[in-house]
Amino acid sequence: MSILEVSGIKKVYSSRFGGNKVEALKNVNFSVEKGEYAAIMGESGSGKTTLLNILAALDKPTGGSVILDGLNLAKIKESAIAQFRRDNLGFVFQDFNLLDTFTLEDNIFLPLVLAGTPYREMQDRLRPIAAKLGIPGILKKYPYEVSGGQKQRAAVARAMITDPKIILADEPTGALDSRSTDELLKLFGDVNMLGQTILMVTHSVKAASSAGRVLFIKDGEVYHQLYRGADTREQFYQRISDTLTILATGGERE
Amino acid sequence: MKLTLYPKLAFDSIRKNRRLYVPYILTCIGMVVMYYIICFLKYFSGLETVPHGEIISEFLIMGEFVIAIFAGIFLFYTNSFLIRRRKKEFGLYNILGMGKNALTLIIFWETVIIAAISLGVGLPVGIILSKLAELCFVNILQGDVNYSLSVAPAAVLSTFEVFGIIFLLLFISSVLKTRFSTAISLVRSENVGEKPPKANWLLGILGIVLLGWAYYIAVVTENPIAAIFLFFVAVVMVIVGTYLVMISGSVLLCRILQKNKSYYYKPNHFVSLSSMVYRMKRNGAGLASICILATMVLVMISSTASLYYGNENALLRQYPREMDTYYYMNSIADLSDENIGRLREKLDGYHSEHGLVPQNVIECRQICVAGYLKDGVVETDVSLFDTSEIKIVDEGITEFIFSSLEDYNRIYGTDYSLNDGEALIFTVHGDYVGDTVSFNNGRTLKIVGSVEDYSIDVDAMVSIVPSVVLVVPDLGKAVEGLDRLATYNGDPMLSYQWVYCFDMGLEPEEQIAYGQSFWKYCYDLRTDNSDDFVSITANIRELDRSDFLTLYGGLFFLGLMLSVVFIFAAVLIIYYKQISEGYEDQSRFEIMKKVGMTDRDIRKSINSQLLTVFFLPLAFAALHLGFALPIISRLLLLFNLRNIPLFYLVAAGCFAVFALCYALVYKITSHSYYKIVIGDKEGKQ
Repeated sequence: MSILEVSGIKKVYSSRFGGNKVEALKNVNFSVEKGEYAAIMGESGSGKTTLLNILAALDKPTGGSVILDGLNLAKIKESAIAQFRRDNLGFVFQDFNLLDTFTLEDNIFLPLVLAGTPYREMQDRLRPIAAKLGIPGILKKYPYEVSGGQKQRAAVARAMITDPKIILADEPTGALDSRSTDELLKLFGDVNMLGQTILMVTHSVKAASSAGRVLFIKDGEVYHQLYRGADTREQFYQRISDTLTILATGGERE
Repeated sequence: MKLTLYPKLAFDSIRKNRRLYVPYILTCIGMVVMYYIICFLKYFSGLETVPHGEIISEFLIMGEFVIAIFAGIFLFYTNSFLIRRRKKEFGLYNILGMGKNALTLIIFWETVIIAAISLGVGLPVGIILSKLAELCFVNILQGDVNYSLSVAPAAVLSTFEVFGIIFLLLFISSVLKTRFSTAISLVRSENVGEKPPKANWLLGILGIVLLGWAYYIAVVTENPIAAIFLFFVAVVMVIVGTYLVMISGSVLLCRILQKNKSYYYKPNHFVSLSSMVYRMKRNGAGLASICILATMVLVMISSTASLYYGNENALLRQYPREMDTYYYMNSIADLSDENIGRLREKLDGYHSEHGLVPQNVIECRQICVAGYLKDGVVETDVSLFDTSEIKIVDEGITEFIFSSLEDYNRIYGTDYSLNDGEALIFTVHGDYVGDTVSFNNGRTLKIVGSVEDYSIDVDAMVSIVPSVVLVVPDLGKAVEGLDRLATYNGDPMLSYQWVYCFDMGLEPEEQIAYGQSFWKYCYDLRTDNSDDFVSITANIRELDRSDFLTLYGGLFFLGLMLSVVFIFAAVLIIYYKQISEGYEDQSRFEIMKKVGMTDRDIRKSINSQLLTVFFLPLAFAALHLGFALPIISRLLLLFNLRNIPLFYLVAAGCFAVFALCYALVYKITSHSYYKIVIGDKEGKQ
């Protein structure tokens, strides 16, 4: 059963007086199954971020529809969108987006507080997640006191605490060193094993190779996709890498 | 390199940062205008037509000084804020290969441009407004109005001097600030990760203790003399206390609230409380300054306005009749009916000679003596208070006025009766609440009651020394044993007076003329007939009315001018605080939006933060004012302002007007804050 269905998404940016039109997304179609871990790859300017913004309901498509768990995002009222986002989506960003005025714990609580959750329940929810992410010891620290990897784990905890239908990750490893990257990717794998649906946008082959499926976007369309199947990470890495080379050199489709 | 490059760069950067620079330049202009006006009035020729212009001139010099110092400090404050925001830009120039010398040149040209605009706009505006100020000034002082516009070159010159120096200092400080930082630190200066402030218990509690103590002093100090000194002590304590409370106390409060989980983890408290902690640490000082400025404005305006508008009332209290005369005799024997009858006959003769029928005549006898009052015992030993002035203002020095029951009943239409050794009491400043008063060289008087009114003795009313009026059945007996007392130079210490007050029923100018000639006549009588009385003092109400008008009018005017300056400052501090916070909060709210904060949540959170930040100083100012009222009302007693309800009313009115202005500024500021934080609508999509 697919939790996210994207069909015919089109996004056209036009300058203020409608003169120049830039087509960021032409016609994007794909779906994500419940419990899947998918990655979207593409070069800079291929429309990855635009797509993610549309999926996150931060931006509206010019055409097409996004259906999350049977609900069409276009049908949600403007005023209810933020709440929808809070209840159904979890976000992990490249630059963590933690608030420096909060401790890590409070940062993680933020979406729950906004939803009016009682403190006791927030605590109960945090405990297993913090344990899973290995951050119970640093919850009382402020973002500036911990490393990038720790910050990103806190951000993942924040994304998970609302028990979202899907986690959207935008270049989650972009600002991390290789060790932290490995840790985070392993974490994503583990979380996915427990049934969490994840959709990650990245241009790191390493990050993509941890996913179960990789979608390639080129010129505003889903150009190709690879399933990991029974491959090892290394094998999958190689295949992704080869595909990228072909995409970049403009070779024929396999 | 072209010579025009730097001026152009400087001009461009001011233009590009206009959200920051426009208020700054407006403030500079405002300061120039205020300074010029005060300066102009100092040189203003019309001052000579105003009675006691020289006193006013003194006030103005004081005001000029205060404004110059304040303008300097304040412009430094705002400039440092500007430099902080500009550091990134300077860092970028530096990285792009512009040397520190070139940066200095840019800063130089910026300073020149700002100085030129400030003076170029400020002076003409000042010159135009100075006419308005002059009219207002003359009106308050009730002088002669003249409608020609004039310029005081000396005032222009000193404006140039003062602001030239201020701008030079600003330039030097800006250069030093950019010189001592590296390019990288300049670029990064805005986003240095900051530690969350720790609550400093000690300072927070110290602040609260200081405030509490100052409030206590303000409320319990009864003696006006002590109040003068204690008022300043309390002011200093309040200032220090406010800063401590705002800086540490508020962080402390936020921390305590954060500890309360069920309060903290609520959507509308969560975000505001945590950013407030940061806010307070950095902006506590700003908030405290706003609070102090607001309090100063309120205190200044309400007390000077009360003095000015309460003047008539004070005058009537001080001078029960249009003319009051006091005749001083050598002994109790000179106060005999026969003696006084003879004197009265002469005075009546003078009146009828000049066709005047004195109305509402009050005449009575009284005997005054000063002593050191302690626990109901009066020490009249002269050595205690003969020379040193410090002892005069010592607590306990009291002037006693003996008045005869017969006179009192006649004047006030009462029918009190007293036995020998009994007295009725009336206290002017400070309330004596003993059962008896005993004089160490004389007798003990039993206080059997108090009288409502005693307004005859002008000296007692204006005197800063507490006065006690004792109404006794027999003057002679009351002062028995005291009459041999002499001061250190041999004069009798007791002062025997006959008081003669009357209304003239004439026009104000005629009152002064007649009063003065009558005074002269009486004075000459003294030389003729020194058996009757040895000296005389007289007061003509009309003459003093203009004196007081000048005095209080001058104070009131100065209070108004300084208030305008202080309000300027307070408004600007608030504005800059909000703007800089807006820039900081921009990214914060961006994140919160991504995490699922709705626009409404953001609006609500911003509102609750702004409201707190804005109205905290106002609430504190109201509190300060509230506690200052008792001590100020006691100080005003020294100016003979006894109409305390008027003072409270004026204070409340001032506060209402101030709060209204403040709310207006809040509206404007919150609008620009919101615009910065939310960004333009287009930018969002």
